[in-house]
Amino acid sequence: MRIWTLCLLLLITALAPAAMAADKDTLVVGVSSDIHTLDPGVSSDNYDWRQIYPCYDRLVKYKVKDGVGLTEVEPMAAESWTVSADGLKWTFRIRKGITFDDGSPLNAEAVRYSFDRTIAIGKGPADNLTAIASMAVVDDYTLEITLKNPYGPFLQTLATDGASILNPKVADRAVNDDKAQAFLAENVDGSGPFKIVEWTRGQRCVLEAKPNYWGGAPKLKKVIIRFMTESADRRMALEQGDVDIAENILIDQIPALEKNKDVAVKRFPSQMVEYVYVNCQNEKLKDPAVRQALSYAVDYQGIIDHVLQGNGVQMRGPIPDGMWGHRKDVFQYTKDTAKAKELLKAAGAENLELTLIYSERRATWEQIALVMQANLAEIGVKLNLELMANPTLRDKIDKGDFELCLGAWSPDFADPYMFMNFWFDSAKAGLPGNRSFYKNEKVDELVRKAEVSSVVEERKKLYGEAQDIIMQDAPYIFLYQIQTIVPLRANVQGYVFNPMLESMYNFEAISKK
Amino acid sequence: MRILAYIIKRALAAIPVLIGVSILTFLISHAIPGDPARIIVGPKASKEAVEAIRKEHGLDRPLPVQYVRYMKGLAQGDLGQSIRNHRPVTKDLADFFPATLELTLASLVLCLAVGIPLGILAAVRRNRLADHVARVFSVIGVSTPVFWLGLMLLLLFYRNLGWLPGSGRLDITSSPPAAVTGLYVIDAILARDWALLKEVLSHLILPAFCLSYVYLAVITRIVRSSMIAVLGQDYITTARANGLSAARVVFKHAFKNSLIPTVTIAGLSLGELLGGAILTETIFAWPGMGKYVVDSINSLDFPAIMGFTLLASTAYVVINLGVDVLYAFLNPRIRY
Repeated sequence: MRIWTLCLLLLITALAPAAMAADKDTLVVGVSSDIHTLDPGVSSDNYDWRQIYPCYDRLVKYKVKDGVGLTEVEPMAAESWTVSADGLKWTFRIRKGITFDDGSPLNAEAVRYSFDRTIAIGKGPADNLTAIASMAVVDDYTLEITLKNPYGPFLQTLATDGASILNPKVADRAVNDDKAQAFLAENVDGSGPFKIVEWTRGQRCVLEAKPNYWGGAPKLKKVIIRFMTESADRRMALEQGDVDIAENILIDQIPALEKNKDVAVKRFPSQMVEYVYVNCQNEKLKDPAVRQALSYAVDYQGIIDHVLQGNGVQMRGPIPDGMWGHRKDVFQYTKDTAKAKELLKAAGAENLELTLIYSERRATWEQIALVMQANLAEIGVKLNLELMANPTLRDKIDKGDFELCLGAWSPDFADPYMFMNFWFDSAKAGLPGNRSFYKNEKVDELVRKAEVSSVVEERKKLYGEAQDIIMQDAPYIFLYQIQTIVPLRANVQGYVFNPMLESMYNFEAISKK
Repeated sequence: MRILAYIIKRALAAIPVLIGVSILTFLISHAIPGDPARIIVGPKASKEAVEAIRKEHGLDRPLPVQYVRYMKGLAQGDLGQSIRNHRPVTKDLADFFPATLELTLASLVLCLAVGIPLGILAAVRRNRLADHVARVFSVIGVSTPVFWLGLMLLLLFYRNLGWLPGSGRLDITSSPPAAVTGLYVIDAILARDWALLKEVLSHLILPAFCLSYVYLAVITRIVRSSMIAVLGQDYITTARANGLSAARVVFKHAFKNSLIPTVTIAGLSLGELLGGAILTETIFAWPGMGKYVVDSINSLDFPAIMGFTLLASTAYVVINLGVDVLYAFLNPRIRY
């Protein structure tokens, strides 16, 4: 049978040993999702930012102290800055000697061009820059930015991906007045420590280090981002040494990885929280007492211990631990079935039947929904569960067409504004942030006042006061703050986790032993 | 000539089918609740930003207007722009379709190369050991979840034995061959890069096997039963009585006549394989259409969903036509 011989031959030629591990100066990261666009003015996706971020400089960057990523910022392309007493006028002095790949300088005009472009495109990243009223190039290396209103988190927003500084020459690449969107979707033109040399869709993206980077040459020569959908794939590749860092490994696969001495499993407190939107406009949930009862019914610690296998901490108030404005003394619900029943009785809301909606976006949600169903049954509330596709879920949230809904949130920049103003300002009702359609005039007033102040102490006080009211009103069931788990090969050094740069890496400081 | 006329007739008949498919897909995908504009700008964006995007992509127009606009573009070979990554959908399809096609063809080859001999063997040695082995093999194939099988294959051949590479079309450190057809096997041969060809083939083995296993089982059973039916017929007995060797009887006389049901199944399988590659592609990080389509659906990327559906239905039509033409070659008594 010739065909068999052929098959056998084919198999033998193909039976090559598995791929050799990459060189010491190449870092391989196994990730779950491909890139959509490389344009910093367009993307609002953390997985895109992973590639974009190391290719550009920004005015400021997050500080690293003793190997720990902080939420404070320090100078990057901006050498120094001053702000006027009314908080409106910001003057940035830009570092001299930074150049783009074609030799053109990173100067005040480049910054102005980049911010202007992002604002003009008007997609996701523009939101962080809309506080800007105007910009003036004072001299080559001085930029004056005037804000519409005083805006507390302004400096923080300049460290985000959307504030990346582009080479203004990229304007020549524009087609049909698209502001070079078509070009920048697939290319980068920044002054950062890396540039993208290959992107094979669905397979990998290759970043090459720039030895003449002004901040010092990266230790690595190359970074390969390998797209692998399955958690089990990434795990096997990490164990085999084919990848050096594996993202998003499912929690139940972590214990096995921890037994492998070639792998180091690191845990970092993140700023990502998960919570339940309780629709305050819904007839059944209008009464704060009913919402309080729900908050008392949930077994927070049980969820953390069993569903998350310990990789989380219960939230205390809306602002997570690690962000300024977090209050250790704010009231927080714990499971108290008797009290919950009492509240429901007093509110005349016995025999309540509710529906919780959720999607498959996070692997843990199914289990959490089941725990909540059991918890609510204990206080006599029948909870129906409804799993739906993510776009459908989002649509329902935006329209307020739900009773309870599981959600996750992570801040774009390190300021409590990302929680307090987004979640509670009634003007942001729906998908933009206030997903429980919560409306309390006093809270509106407090968070809006905090938004336009640039005095941290004052803002802390305002947010603090708002938190006390919010916890009594219980517009959300505050579940937990997630712990990010990063499994990497034991020989990878210099990795720094920054809670503000979720999925973004400090490739410029990483090396392999 | 009659066959050529037949092909033209069938191709023309396919046009209304494809238009019907396009209308249905268009309606269904727009009936899904959700707002693609919101997905583009991100969940935290303001309502004004969403409105602007809706306008930019023409999502604010009535559905019939959107459809006509789409079909106009289609007539010029333009499948529109992906909402998600702002690229022409034709470019995306050109990137992702060859990977799926390569995997599917490799699976089909594997199906036929293993399934046919196994089926013949089972038929010739009916109710003996070979037949039992083939049966167990088939039953396992039909009842094994693809997901589990894929992971087990990777665990065994990649992690434990280290004989075969892990997921993906290439090793992590390799760049793809210069793109000519998008099928890496062919592109590597064209580039005369034998090391790369070996790499590409070794990456194909596990996913192709995994994808083909279910159909492999089906084909084995079909070949076996049609072979048994043919072997019982008078002309076979006559051939045997005339003293022809057993091998000659089986391969020359019986095999050709038992091929017709096999061709039908193979044609159907190819269509199914194309559409069904998604799980296999997920497990093996295979950068094909499967993942692309799921991502498109998750972000309500209408132009991408439409583009894929049209491509897939065209492929189906072409395969069906191919099967019918092949019938005629195998059995001249079949008339059109």
